[in-house]
Amino acid sequence: MALTQTDVRGIADYARIALEGDELEQMTAYLNDAVDMLAPVLDYDLPDVEPTFHPIGDLANVMREDEELAGRGLPLDVALSNAGSVRDRSFRVPSILGEGGDR
Amino acid sequence: MKELSEVLKDWEAVIGLEIHTELTALDTKMFCNCKLSHDDEPNANVCPVCLGLPGALPVPNKRAIESIVKAGLATNCQIQKRSMFYRKHYFYPDMAKNFQTTQGPVAFCMHGRLDLEVTGRGAAERPDCAFGEAESLSLASASANAEGLSTAMAQQMREGGESAGALAAMSGYDTANLALPERHEDGSYTVPIRILRIHMEEDAAKMVHVGGEEGRIAAASESLIDYNRCGTPLIELVTEPDLRTPEEARLFMEKLRRIFLTLGISDCSMEHGSMRCDGNVSLRRRGETRLGTKTELKNLNSFKALHDGLAYEICRQAEVLEEGGIIYQETRHWEPGRKRTVVMRVKETADDYRLFPDPDLAPFDLSDEFIEHCRAEIPELPDAKRDRYQEDFGIKRADAEQIAGDPETAAFFEESAAGLSGKPAQAVANLIVNELAAYLKGVEGGIADCGIAPSQVASLAKLLAEDAISSNQAHEVFALMAKSGEDPEKIVDERGMRQVSDAGALQPIVDEVLGRCVDQAQQYRDGNQKVLGFLVGQCMKASRGQGNPKLFNELLRKSLE
Amino acid sequence: MAANFDTLTAAQIAAGIAAGDFTAREVTQASLDAIAAREDAVQAFLQVSPELALATADRIDTDRAAGKPLPPLAGVPLAIKDNMNLVGTRTTCASRMLGNYESVYTATCVQRMLDAGCVPVGKANMDEFAFGSSTESSAFHPTNNPWDTDRIPGGSSGGSAAAVAAGEVPLALGSDTGGSIRQPAALCGVVGLKPTYGAVSRYGVVAFGSSLDQVGPFGRTVEDVALAMNALVGAGRDPYDGTSQDCAVDFCEHLNDSIEGRRVGIIPAFMEAEGLTPEVRAAVEGAAKQLEAQGAQLVEVDLPHLDAAIAAYYVIGPAEAFSNLARFDGIRYGYQEPDCPNLDTQSSLSRAHGFGAEAKRRQLLGAYLLSSGVYDKYYYAAQKARTLITADYAAAYEKCDVILMPSSPRTAWKHGEISDPTQMYLSDLYTISINIAGNGGVSVPLGLGAESHLPVAALVGPAFKDRTLLMFARALERGFADAATGAPALTVAPDFAGKGGELA
Repeated sequence: MALTQTDVRGIADYARIALEGDELEQMTAYLNDAVDMLAPVLDYDLPDVEPTFHPIGDLANVMREDEELAGRGLPLDVALSNAGSVRDRSFRVPSILGEGGDR
Repeated sequence: MKELSEVLKDWEAVIGLEIHTELTALDTKMFCNCKLSHDDEPNANVCPVCLGLPGALPVPNKRAIESIVKAGLATNCQIQKRSMFYRKHYFYPDMAKNFQTTQGPVAFCMHGRLDLEVTGRGAAERPDCAFGEAESLSLASASANAEGLSTAMAQQMREGGESAGALAAMSGYDTANLALPERHEDGSYTVPIRILRIHMEEDAAKMVHVGGEEGRIAAASESLIDYNRCGTPLIELVTEPDLRTPEEARLFMEKLRRIFLTLGISDCSMEHGSMRCDGNVSLRRRGETRLGTKTELKNLNSFKALHDGLAYEICRQAEVLEEGGIIYQETRHWEPGRKRTVVMRVKETADDYRLFPDPDLAPFDLSDEFIEHCRAEIPELPDAKRDRYQEDFGIKRADAEQIAGDPETAAFFEESAAGLSGKPAQAVANLIVNELAAYLKGVEGGIADCGIAPSQVASLAKLLAEDAISSNQAHEVFALMAKSGEDPEKIVDERGMRQVSDAGALQPIVDEVLGRCVDQAQQYRDGNQKVLGFLVGQCMKASRGQGNPKLFNELLRKSLE
Repeated sequence: MAANFDTLTAAQIAAGIAAGDFTAREVTQASLDAIAAREDAVQAFLQVSPELALATADRIDTDRAAGKPLPPLAGVPLAIKDNMNLVGTRTTCASRMLGNYESVYTATCVQRMLDAGCVPVGKANMDEFAFGSSTESSAFHPTNNPWDTDRIPGGSSGGSAAAVAAGEVPLALGSDTGGSIRQPAALCGVVGLKPTYGAVSRYGVVAFGSSLDQVGPFGRTVEDVALAMNALVGAGRDPYDGTSQDCAVDFCEHLNDSIEGRRVGIIPAFMEAEGLTPEVRAAVEGAAKQLEAQGAQLVEVDLPHLDAAIAAYYVIGPAEAFSNLARFDGIRYGYQEPDCPNLDTQSSLSRAHGFGAEAKRRQLLGAYLLSSGVYDKYYYAAQKARTLITADYAAAYEKCDVILMPSSPRTAWKHGEISDPTQMYLSDLYTISINIAGNGGVSVPLGLGAESHLPVAALVGPAFKDRTLLMFARALERGFADAATGAPALTVAPDFAGKGGELA
């Protein structure tokens, strides 16, 4: 069943990527092409095969000690240095509910 | 609105809890080496990992995993050797990566249980104990109708190779091994509460909403984000919806808190948010087998809030239902000041968190050695300690429970009551539960640095047990010894406070008082028993508080016969 | 003696500096001069870092003057793919999203190359966030193939491959999620190794597909690639990357061993695949003969589940990419849309305007594939296909030491020639399955194609034995070397060789 533009708009809204102009149309076409290309994988939902979630088969229980390490933390000015908007010691975002917000 | 006790006569409340506990006893965060702290300035403890900088990778904190395994063992959970971390996606700036690293369908700890003892007034809130009747329906119909929290969770969680049927079984309200409450002769009852799971996850950043009403998100013009808390190790315990009254919910939370405190994995401060509770509740008519629509409650962040919030919500739902209304599946916020719950948001569809196994984190396959190592580090738990105190020291169960629940208090008790049993041990318990607890409320810090030594309490208890002083005198001595650090025996002797329990010494005082209070003596003889209290008081006064009040009582009765 | 530094391998540069034939500053300056002279035509770099490079070089020269022992790659200029963090440089991932992003920490792989003495001369161009096979999706500019500047260099590590092929640097780092080292190495005629997953730390490398990504080196000789591997893995596993493994072996130790009696697998289906050009096929058959001539035995092996590889890859890759790129919301870093009335608008427009078309496509495909109902159908099937493909390889390696196959079905194509994204995906036919299985793979130049006169290459990919892999790569290199000089079949692309970069 092909994805409709409404479906694709829903996915884009969720993924926080605004689609503008003819992007919605193009994206819908692309996603349908791509999903078609993925069809061969559908034959592999085999009951007696374990899925591989990690390429290193027997890797397990990787943990670190509970200790602070010097030099890993970032000084405040460095931590904030790439932010588009800061206030005092904090990262700043505009109104969350704001005009047009739906949360 | 009707009173809770009224509502619960007609309605059965079905309650589940989700309890988040920060592992504050650790030194560093869940997936990075940043310091854990509650009170540092914003963004003082951040690194590429917890800020979600491009290219940063998580590595799990071993002590966090040990802590959750201990939590699971202490709550009778089955420790799952094989489990994985998953990514739970939602776009909100309190999660630096826009996903939370949490666990999937299999948590480190599954299918646990805690037994609650419900006594006193709270026990009356379950008049029925027909608890089991409603649950005797088939699993299939229960899971089909269940709107319990485990269903919502299952919708968000997916497991490889599991059929939809297996998932439904996992998500449904599993009544198969639901045990019934046991009512005791004294009206109290014991009820097992099942724990669905305890999983490991990371906490979110703190957000401050600026502008608009103070601290509220509505009408805020901007929000500020502090990532210090982001990545704090958090364990989330989810109960089965086995709880039936707000009192049970409160007792569960208290019990869990005592266990976690004993394990030493968290400071469990509800005030500071290191232990947080959400609840969900639905109502059904007594005898009804289907579950009603539930609401989720937020901000139940004290024992009182947990109890009162649930109680309010139960009464609110009953009123809506009795008026023919409908309960909407929604999230509500408890406002303790206004004593009401208000709608936060209506859940129309289940959120799609797009959970999938985190490829940056290797799966877990815990060894028996690892689990046994954790088990070996678990100290004596509060229930076992309570039973031991009852048995070894012969103190009252309620006191034993209260003392055993707090590791510092328990240690203090054991030192104070060492070698004692019966009356003197009970005196130690009384002093700790009453005098010490009251004293601690007025001072900074805990038992260890409050300035009172166990030996002082032991000595004071001995004086009490020997009737050398009265409990009123003990109160006075306690205050004095707290201030001076002196031995109570010395205080009592220096101040001549020792209680006189020699009948020969007290009889003259009795005679003198009866000589003075002829009218009152006559009233007693005429059948007014109450006047005896006045006469004892006169004797105490005449003895400058040193006479044994019990003995005065006895002597007065004898003299008046 | 006024040699051009582009005639020297990394090994020769390090040896020359250690011997005092030239200084690290001279080599670094030569590299910077070569970049200045060649960059207009090749455009391999997004950022050149002369101050950082010269300061590093001066430290090496000071150390040498003070008699301190020099690390093995002291003074060797290095290009770094721009998805790797290095303090003192921007890390842009060739995206407008990170156009101004200053690295605040250094990736482990980069740090290890620096610890080995490498001089970081700049950050190399790439497909945006490594999504692509041509480097055309870079938000800033395309990179040209040094062998024919009308053509693409391959991708996504196209800048790294082109910088080495154009003689701007002898060594470069790239990353490979579905062929992003091996395919551009092939198209640019250089050696490129994708090590076994977990061999090289991913910490500090901006993630695309976390279970597929792996960092590896480009060089003009197999020996240089082996030296770079020693630098990358010599210090053992990286505690900051939970998937990092201890693979510390000396990659040079058995490099020149004979392959006599060893077995080389050939997959007949691969040699018949649609889209494989006759010249590439002929070259790979020639490579097989060459290995046979050195005493190796050719055996046929079969990978029965290979037909699912591309589909599985385009389920797993986009799903992980969506998740990994969710963090780019313009709040903590990255492009932030100005003057937005609320957070949702700011996030949606920052992401819409910060990401290019392919990055948006992959993320939306991933978001769709992870959504409720769809996930169960595709993701588990893909991970099961992965299990079977991995088992196929393991079974094949019971019968052979390495497998020989083309690196790319064709030589470099012209800019703009492939515009359909799903067509582009199919060009990764030979490389993708190795990422799915987590195995290592290397691309080795076999000379120029008979028809295109562009580089052709073969790929050998055994499991978890990257050292053996390089031994076979060296055997191929030896087999195709100039009989008189012993020089590899391909060195610096002729249009660029000797332009700028004289060693004073």
